[in-house]
Amino acid sequence: MQKTKIAPSTKHGFRHWLLQKISAVALIPLVIWLILSFVNIGLDPQGYLPIFFSYPLNAFMGILFFCFGFYHGSLGLQVIIEDYITNKAKVHFYVMLVNFISITTSVAVCIAILKLHITN
Amino acid sequence: MQPNKAKPTSPHLQIYRWNISSLTSIMHRLTGVALYVALVFMAWGIFYYTYNTSPNNNIHCDCFFTKIVHILFCGAVISSAFCLYYHFCNGIRHLFWDIGKGFELKTAKKTGYLVIFLALLLTIITVSIAVYLKFF
Repeated sequence: MQKTKIAPSTKHGFRHWLLQKISAVALIPLVIWLILSFVNIGLDPQGYLPIFFSYPLNAFMGILFFCFGFYHGSLGLQVIIEDYITNKAKVHFYVMLVNFISITTSVAVCIAILKLHITN
Repeated sequence: MQPNKAKPTSPHLQIYRWNISSLTSIMHRLTGVALYVALVFMAWGIFYYTYNTSPNNNIHCDCFFTKIVHILFCGAVISSAFCLYYHFCNGIRHLFWDIGKGFELKTAKKTGYLVIFLALLLTIITVSIAVYLKFF
């Protein structure tokens, strides 16, 4: 008779869930702020981005939005990867890949926003 | 024994009958992944426009390929706007569930339809504002 093998608890589920929720709550005002300026940036990014990020509040909220967004996104993608991929080595590889993309991209966008803010 | 191959993967997509709860749940995940990709593109887009040393490069190019790319880009922007609104509304629904409200089957169904309706409505409003600002 073969026993059913249940995946063991990894003991950090609650912390993960809580951080996901905290970043979700933090993203609510940031997304509302973003939507209000979404259309103008999308129509003329080259012209409007420097004007937009020259205001201190916009630069501040922009950096916060991207940092929280990437954090929330990597936590969410980690759950999806753990759900759909069974090979443990592959799970670790993809989670690390997602974290790598998140960190590099958010650093790049922070530098860009700071440059737009300082030089305009 | 091969534990890795024998384990089931959790949310099955093919074997269940579709209803509003499963639809909103799986759409929450799909829009989440789409938003992550959109966020990466947005971030590198800002990076590109910050360090773009020769602006107005191919604005006057009226060739076929540029138009195709432009239409595809507009489609991507509109769909990511829908994804953002949907994920935002459904995320608030999830936060209400986390504090223990709205679990009754009737309420959950109602809010499910409401979320899809709101996301579509907000997308249409955003697109109309963009069209208005661009052409009038």
